[in-house]
Amino acid sequence: MSTGTNNAILELRGIRKSYPGVIALKGVDIDIKPCEIMGLVGENGAGKSTLMKIMIGLQKPDEGTLVLRGETLSLDGPQAAIRRGIGMVFQEGCMIPNLSVMDNMFLGHEEEFRRFGFLRRGLMRTVASEQLSTVGLGKLDPAAITGSLSAAQKQMIEIARLLWLSKRYGVENPILILDEPTTVLQEGETRIFFGLLAELKKRASIVFISHRLEEVVSLSDRIVVLKDGNFMAELSGKEATVKGIERLMVGHELAEEHYRESMQVEGSDGIALEVEGLGLANTFSGFDLKLRKGEIVSLVGLLGSGKEEVCKCLTGAEKADEGKIVVEGKTVHFASPKDAIAKSIGCIPIDRRNEGLATSLDVSENINLLVLDKMRFLGFLDPRKEKANAQQWIRECLVKTPGLRTPCSTLSGGNQQKVVIAKWLAAAARILVLDHPTRGIDVGAKDEIYRRIRELAAAGLSLIVMCDTLEEDIGLCNRMIVMKDGKVTKEISCPKEAKPTALDVIGYIV
Amino acid sequence: MSENGKQSGNGRRSFLKAADRIRELGTKGIAGQVVSLAIVVVLFTVGTAGGYLSVNNILTILSLAGIPMIICLGIHQIVIIGAMDLSTEGVISLCAVVAGFLIKNPFTPYDIGFWVIPVAVVLGAFIGVINGLLNTKVKMPSFIATLGMWWVAQGIAVIIGKGNAVKMLDQRMQNIANGDLFGLPNTILIALVLFVGLQILQKRTRFGTHMYAIGGDETLARQAGIPVDKVKITTFAITGAFYAIASLLLVARLASSNPRTGNNMLFPAMTAVAVGGVSLSGGIGGALNAVFGTLIVTALNNGMVLMKVSPYIQNAVNGVVLITAVALTIDRKKIGIIK
Repeated sequence: MSTGTNNAILELRGIRKSYPGVIALKGVDIDIKPCEIMGLVGENGAGKSTLMKIMIGLQKPDEGTLVLRGETLSLDGPQAAIRRGIGMVFQEGCMIPNLSVMDNMFLGHEEEFRRFGFLRRGLMRTVASEQLSTVGLGKLDPAAITGSLSAAQKQMIEIARLLWLSKRYGVENPILILDEPTTVLQEGETRIFFGLLAELKKRASIVFISHRLEEVVSLSDRIVVLKDGNFMAELSGKEATVKGIERLMVGHELAEEHYRESMQVEGSDGIALEVEGLGLANTFSGFDLKLRKGEIVSLVGLLGSGKEEVCKCLTGAEKADEGKIVVEGKTVHFASPKDAIAKSIGCIPIDRRNEGLATSLDVSENINLLVLDKMRFLGFLDPRKEKANAQQWIRECLVKTPGLRTPCSTLSGGNQQKVVIAKWLAAAARILVLDHPTRGIDVGAKDEIYRRIRELAAAGLSLIVMCDTLEEDIGLCNRMIVMKDGKVTKEISCPKEAKPTALDVIGYIV
Repeated sequence: MSENGKQSGNGRRSFLKAADRIRELGTKGIAGQVVSLAIVVVLFTVGTAGGYLSVNNILTILSLAGIPMIICLGIHQIVIIGAMDLSTEGVISLCAVVAGFLIKNPFTPYDIGFWVIPVAVVLGAFIGVINGLLNTKVKMPSFIATLGMWWVAQGIAVIIGKGNAVKMLDQRMQNIANGDLFGLPNTILIALVLFVGLQILQKRTRFGTHMYAIGGDETLARQAGIPVDKVKITTFAITGAFYAIASLLLVARLASSNPRTGNNMLFPAMTAVAVGGVSLSGGIGGALNAVFGTLIVTALNNGMVLMKVSPYIQNAVNGVVLITAVALTIDRKKIGIIK
């Protein structure tokens, strides 16, 4: 551990944090210096957001200390952090939509403006105007309703709020954490925004998190790279290059036969699903796909690249605005998941506890959920048929459960996932969309799921996957489609004997 | 069949679009409410050949509107914080019975005179606090907590009052409820004083801002360090106090109290909240909306009476008005799952 010889304003020392099933941070040391912009980069799941949550007191580290201006810090929550001058602008924003701009700016800190119990609206308006002009919103009416403003404006208001708060609590050089601030900005707005950040840097430290590496390189004085919960490298803004950062983000570990590659099969000639020019306003457009029978296609891209929405359109959870979907030679329109299920398209969602399974129901009920029609005898559900069907698929999918009547909430993550797969197989799905199928599942169960995926493909099912890591995507798929900002940027084939490396791919992603 | 389905889908979508536009209009203040009131007035003025717009009838409408307005002003605050209060009728009945026995009456020797006012207000506020505690600390949906409290209060009222109607013999109280000042009925004046107080509370105090913040997004409000539970409990208490004031005026106006004093008070008040444009999802609308909502509902019902519309049809019309108002003003974007 380095000692306090440097001039850091906030020192993070040996920060460890684990969640059930995952170690998010494995002992990270980072310094934040006064009057600088520090870029923080890493793949999805590298530990960036956990680190930020610890810095603003939303999460407590399992181990490690935070030292702010030489004092060890223990934060009870975001409020405590704000009082010490550490604030964060969240991606999703934390402005209350029905309040006015000034009410939002001073929310929770109105004492300042109270006289005899009443708010001094005039004074609030003046102070709000003043603060807004420091972030370039001098012309905005502080009484405007926040919900009617653009995302960019809301973001600037939030920064203005943090600046005001740090001034109010007498903090010199506050620390502002900006989480993907440019994703909500238009081209021109981004330039103005960067101009403001350069100005703010004179009296604040800014932690800039972004997946857009060009922006990070051009803006940051210093760049810290995280990888799998570890501190990977620190680069100065001048020496850093996009290529170099990419290499650090990806790392060099690639285990052979990790994803059951030897079981990979080529798809047959039959087309299971054909998509042409699919689009959804403001999220993605021009998405084409020819999915063959027995093929595994992986959709790759960052959060916000549009891949999640593509899957939602394919499974009927969202209605596409344009384009057409052809299943088994017939053009189809999906207004709801029911329509997609009727065309044998199943979805294994990322949030299996809430979306994939009815966890309060038991194993048998979940497996039979989509095929209740076939379980009838004289119009009523026949317990014998239900039992037989459930038993068959439990055997088939190797679900480890104490009994048919065990509530799914008591199963492990891996077994829950198998129940979800069993449900779709029972419903004779021909196309499956797997949204992060191995999220939060331990290594052994992962391998079983990989094996299962291979078997499904070999049996002629077509699969669309989105995985937790790039390596997993590359390892599993026959072909990968890379998306960025709502567009397909590249299609890469991944035959089993010649898999591309993560480094080959990442350039198209960021 | 699919062609048909598509058409009805389009119809539904254009209805939702139109409703969204009307909602925007409605939430931008009270323009929509003023227009609605004007339509009601014009309609009935024509229907009654001018009789509806006579000074006498306007004063009647105002005098009829006073007590429902106080109840509506109470209930709309709960709606603003994104909760629901169904305990209205129980609280009004319980306060009525307790007040009836404490002021000059033929059954008990007590006569505490005007002291009955603070006693009833504290009782109403106390029940509000229990509602608030059930909602925030026991974490029950306010809908269920207050539904239960309705029957609890109603039951206690029957036990205390033994089902009897109790004559109120205090002339001064009766004078307050039935009198007027400069020709305006006292009840509407009291309602207007309460309105002004609430308007200041909502627009000019920290507490008011916090109420709206909680209605807008309770999670974010909590994150911003707002004492959410305290604000909610206090709001329930203020609302309970408003019920108590309405209850006293009801008792004084009829010179009698019984465990059914509060009956049929919830529906008109809730209709007025919705018609007034207070968003049922919370955070939008204020005291002025409650005032206009009550005026619209009262003006409508008075008009129907003048035109000798059957009371059963009147009930149905009120129901249609409530459903239409909500259908037109609800913000569908905020709603994920309807329960």
